[in-house]
Amino acid sequence: MPSPRSRFESACRIGAFALLGWLLGGSFIGSTVRRVEHVQACDKNLSPCDKNLSARLAELSRTSEAVAIHLDATSAPAPWATDWLAALAHADVAAAHSVSWSGAPAAVAMSVQPVPDPRRGARIDIAAPTGARVRLRDDASDIDSAQVMDLGVTLTTPLVVGALRADVGGQSVIANTHDTSSIRGVLVVGAAGWEGKFIVSALEERGWRVVTRFVVAPGADVTGGGAAPLDTNRFAAVIAIDSTAQAMSGAIERFVRSGGGLVLVGPAANARAFSELAAGSAGVRTRPRVQANDTIRLGTTGFYPVARLRPGALALERRGDAIVVAARRVRAGRVMQIGYDDTWRWRMAGEAGSEEAHREWWSRVLRSVAYAPVSMSNALDVGESAPLAYLTDRLGAPRPAPPARRGTDPRIIITLIMVLLLMEWGSLRLRGLR
Amino acid sequence: MKRLMAPIMSEFVSEFVFATAQYESGDWDSAPLLPANIIDTIARYTEINVAPTGVIVPLSDERMLRYPLLYLTGHLPVRFSDAERRNVRRFVARGGLLFVDDHNHDVDGTFHRTATEEIARTVAPLADLPNDHPLYSAFFKFEGPPTTSHELNGWGDNLVHKHLLAVEHAGRIGVLYSSKDYSSEWNYHPDSKRFMSVDNTRFAVNLVVYALTA
Repeated sequence: MPSPRSRFESACRIGAFALLGWLLGGSFIGSTVRRVEHVQACDKNLSPCDKNLSARLAELSRTSEAVAIHLDATSAPAPWATDWLAALAHADVAAAHSVSWSGAPAAVAMSVQPVPDPRRGARIDIAAPTGARVRLRDDASDIDSAQVMDLGVTLTTPLVVGALRADVGGQSVIANTHDTSSIRGVLVVGAAGWEGKFIVSALEERGWRVVTRFVVAPGADVTGGGAAPLDTNRFAAVIAIDSTAQAMSGAIERFVRSGGGLVLVGPAANARAFSELAAGSAGVRTRPRVQANDTIRLGTTGFYPVARLRPGALALERRGDAIVVAARRVRAGRVMQIGYDDTWRWRMAGEAGSEEAHREWWSRVLRSVAYAPVSMSNALDVGESAPLAYLTDRLGAPRPAPPARRGTDPRIIITLIMVLLLMEWGSLRLRGLR
Repeated sequence: MKRLMAPIMSEFVSEFVFATAQYESGDWDSAPLLPANIIDTIARYTEINVAPTGVIVPLSDERMLRYPLLYLTGHLPVRFSDAERRNVRRFVARGGLLFVDDHNHDVDGTFHRTATEEIARTVAPLADLPNDHPLYSAFFKFEGPPTTSHELNGWGDNLVHKHLLAVEHAGRIGVLYSSKDYSSEWNYHPDSKRFMSVDNTRFAVNLVVYALTA
């Protein structure tokens, strides 16, 4: 039976050879645990920080060793940094870097859409955390500022010069404003009456090209603005004043399903031909709530409440318990149902400024449903307008940094091998063996 | 015909109410049978939802703005009060149509001189309305304003007036002025139409249809 000393010598030899084998194996196979390199995202407005990040990424781009790069994101990085990190994850090195990120930067995004209105303008939607302060500016000047009360802020501005920038809680988002929409005409159909006449007046005063088709007598329609087939190439929307418009129901339904807008006024929603398109049915008209000497306001002379809202329809305006305005999508088109059937009274006999208010109200209704395809003159830069979404899209969801590799210096291993061999040799020599 | 003070509910049920303008200076009610006759004509030829009776609307009352087509006539001098002038100005600016007819049918009569001056002062000067204006083809086809049996009866200027006059606002007629004396021509009981070979009130249909659709 071997003596303890002999076992000790064997253990030293085995240990030395095991260490040698581990060292050699590591050289040939390589380690799966990578070195972790942390980089810090910074606010794009801080140029020194940008320079540091840029230098750091350049350094990592030059390294031949595959490392685990982890981004510590207190704010979403600029798109160039996100792109650089994504490129490093696919870098052509012996083994690609792995890239991850963590942190909870504020989810901020901005969308700019041209307003489908003859006066143009832009609608700006900014998503930001509740309570955040938003400052909006373009290349010319400050435009507005607002505090986010719920999920975001929506602003409309008549003119935008260059790019739009929104500063929210230390982050900046930028959106292009080069998109344009072509404005098409509006078809107004129904029985001859004041409501149709003054809707046409309001829209024409706003700058819309309006084509009319009013029923005056059996077989006698009064048309204006020129005849043209109803399609989305020529028209943005149809306004049906009443149920007489159902004579065109087939064309109107095709128009809506292919993207056109439809406004159903008053009792028009009760026309059988429009029942599949309407947001609901038109209920019993309410009684006027105006005395002989009262100034007429919108809705005070009565309206048709929207009853039995269809699934997917959205109530947009209420008066008491009644829904007055509702909307829904029908395939690619949008349908708005309006309970008011005599807004002309508000325009004619309302208080000072009611004419402008009537015009603005109908313009808003129309641009909510109008078909206005956007032509992109510049590619939409998602990275600038929604940096957090872009970061997630390029680098995946946030996850913790990988564990750091406890690297062992080979010199220590060799030294250890030599110590073990020396101990074995010394033990043998002390026993008189070679 | 009823006064403006009619129950408010009835004002808001009919789409079209024929309204006669009452002004302080003259004999605004010189054609009392005309409204009923025109209402009969509208109901006879069209499907327009017309109120069975007309209303009388004081121009000085802001409620005149509830009637976007107003008919004004008379023989005597016309001079609007400040309130009338203010309301007429707002009426035209908001899209109303004021139809003024000279019950004297002469170009140099008292009504004509004072009414045209007052319209110029209140809204804008009148100008000839071309005879191919959409008004003349809004429903029936006319080559221009239809002549009346009163134009050459010796009580006026003995002229056939080739044009109506108008003030246009935002591309539409805001004030339409006639020296044809339609007030005499149309001032009879509707039942008398059966004795006519051609209904002489047909132009009124064009006027109403134009007001409702243009």
